[in-house]
Amino acid sequence: MKPKVGIPRALLYYYYFPLWRAFFQSLGAEVSLSGPTNKTVLGRGLKQAGDDVCLPVKLAFGHILELAGRVDYLFLPRLVSVAPGEYICPKFLGLPDMVRQTVDGLPPLIDTTVDLYRRHSSLWPTFARTGQRLKCGRWLVYAAYRRALAEQGRFESLLRAGRPPEQAMALAARDGNEQPPETAEQPLVAVIGHPYNIYDHYISMNLLQRLRAAGVRPVTAEMLSEETVRREAATLPKRLFWTLSRRMTGAAFYYLRDARVQGMIHVASFACGPDSITGELIERRARREGHVPFLNLTLDEHTGEAGVVTRLEAFLDMLQRCRGGGVPAAGPCRDGAPAAGTEETAGRAGCALPALVPSAAGGGNFR
Amino acid sequence: MKGYLGIDVGSVSTNLVFVDENGGVREAVYLRTRGRPIETIQAGLREVAGRLPAKTAVRGVGCTGSGRHLAGVIAGADVVKNEITSHATAACALAPGVRTVLEIGGQDSKIIIIRDGVVADFAMNTVCAAGTGSFLDQQAARLNIPIEDFGPTALESGAPVRIAGRCAVFAESDMIHKQQMGYGLPDILAGLCEALVRNYLNNVGKGKEILSPVVFQGGVAANVGMKRAFEQALGLTVQIPPHYGVMGAVGAALLAREKMARGGNSRFRGFGVAATRFAAGGFECDGCPNLCEVVEIKREGEVIARWGDRCGKWSSALTPEEKTG
Repeated sequence: MKPKVGIPRALLYYYYFPLWRAFFQSLGAEVSLSGPTNKTVLGRGLKQAGDDVCLPVKLAFGHILELAGRVDYLFLPRLVSVAPGEYICPKFLGLPDMVRQTVDGLPPLIDTTVDLYRRHSSLWPTFARTGQRLKCGRWLVYAAYRRALAEQGRFESLLRAGRPPEQAMALAARDGNEQPPETAEQPLVAVIGHPYNIYDHYISMNLLQRLRAAGVRPVTAEMLSEETVRREAATLPKRLFWTLSRRMTGAAFYYLRDARVQGMIHVASFACGPDSITGELIERRARREGHVPFLNLTLDEHTGEAGVVTRLEAFLDMLQRCRGGGVPAAGPCRDGAPAAGTEETAGRAGCALPALVPSAAGGGNFR
Repeated sequence: MKGYLGIDVGSVSTNLVFVDENGGVREAVYLRTRGRPIETIQAGLREVAGRLPAKTAVRGVGCTGSGRHLAGVIAGADVVKNEITSHATAACALAPGVRTVLEIGGQDSKIIIIRDGVVADFAMNTVCAAGTGSFLDQQAARLNIPIEDFGPTALESGAPVRIAGRCAVFAESDMIHKQQMGYGLPDILAGLCEALVRNYLNNVGKGKEILSPVVFQGGVAANVGMKRAFEQALGLTVQIPPHYGVMGAVGAALLAREKMARGGNSRFRGFGVAATRFAAGGFECDGCPNLCEVVEIKREGEVIARWGDRCGKWSSALTPEEKTG
């Protein structure tokens, strides 16, 4: 019988699910994903997780609990680093331990370490060890690993073409050439936040859908190439060594210079340490350059949507009134905004999200 | 007379104004919400109707405040707008050329930066209600002085004491401490005003470019002690517009006027709704694990609006005319 591997729909699922899914499926396992977040999932997570962790980790506990009783293995990689010289938040690193200590009746955890901190380190050892856990032969594991990288590469180019992650995941599995989505001429609003906050419908209170319904097109860090993000983040006086924060900051800086972007929404989760720093860095840059209206939204465990909705409505009203004619030359909005940065989008295979998949030019990390 | 009705249902007060065709405020009613928004809205409508001439035509209705959707359903609103847009609209109309709006209400506070008549930036307080009207109310009650005397008493102070304003709970213990040490009441009240202004500028006003003309509105603008504390902290003159306490409602009425200028008939249900029996109820939907708490508003026993469901199963079950947007 096929072993069933559970993957929680939380945290870096939004970045790496196609990689993991393709790998386990190629090994002959069945991948079982937890359902979309709902009140019950969040409620169980809040009850189970310690009080000190951030909202996304609490939510991850809810998804883990949902899977615990119905899978043979639970895949919770210990994410230490996904790019040379950079780290993932320590709460990700400690997640397997936190889960093991607090959740009863867990299936066996597959918590192999992902650590690409050192230059020239590779993902292969992680996959090789994971394959061993499922008692698969080395060649089978290697073939699965290659297939997984290919699927992840397709997924990432779909993301850059503007597909939301869950749509891109579905398309990446099909291995066909997909036409980029139709994009009407709409004002753009940059949404800067962790993928597990902005793409989770429940936690984000449908932020992206609300924007679309209001006639603006949300753009995110995931639509930019790693090179662009890196180049923009490098304009900071000191290097950011948190991968996710660097991505958010770099993307925000890029969109602040893009003349098509009419507004920027920074989404932070309550109790997230790195968000409190990057939020400030981005907001200061936005104010200094003064071209793009900026809104800070803090997500927390309360279920009342009123706070978020009021701020969002006011922000959209503000953007609309800025656009809606009558704005004098020296107006508060974009006047003679700087030319858009040159961004090479879609179509190019490779060049990864946080550098997990070798770029077409051949990243040194993977062999 | 013809004009527009603006209704602002806040946590502490419910305000109604009637604005004529030229945007002039003809009537303003300020009521305490007292946790019963529906009854308060009805009482407000009754009062406005009583004050207006018999042949008044309501051309449009705008609602705002945290109870805006509720008010919109009860009165039949043409525009349901958030507080930021409403306050900014009113400030631009009543204080032309304004560039900064400081607004402190019962449970919230906000800053709105306006440039060339358009909102350029804004911020609202987060979950903490430190430094809002409720807190001042509560402290005035504790010190046994009527809230109306708070400001004038604070102005008598020659040397305000320093009070920790980061948190309302800490501020209170600090005030008690200062009072037991023997500081005079005016100095403590003036110190409290300064602490609240500091708190406001450091939280809501953080990173905002505050330029003159500055307008201070919301219920707390009645407190002259707060006005003076703002002027000292900013080094700018702070104007208090007429109708400062009902600016949200004025803005909503002006937005209704703007909307109706584009044509169409008002959805106003008439002042008769004050006598209609409305009931609000709720239930937990068990259609999915989200267990949404759905609110139902009934008029004479008939459901006229529902909200609170994430999927739209309940709210969209009603005909479009019955929903407010």
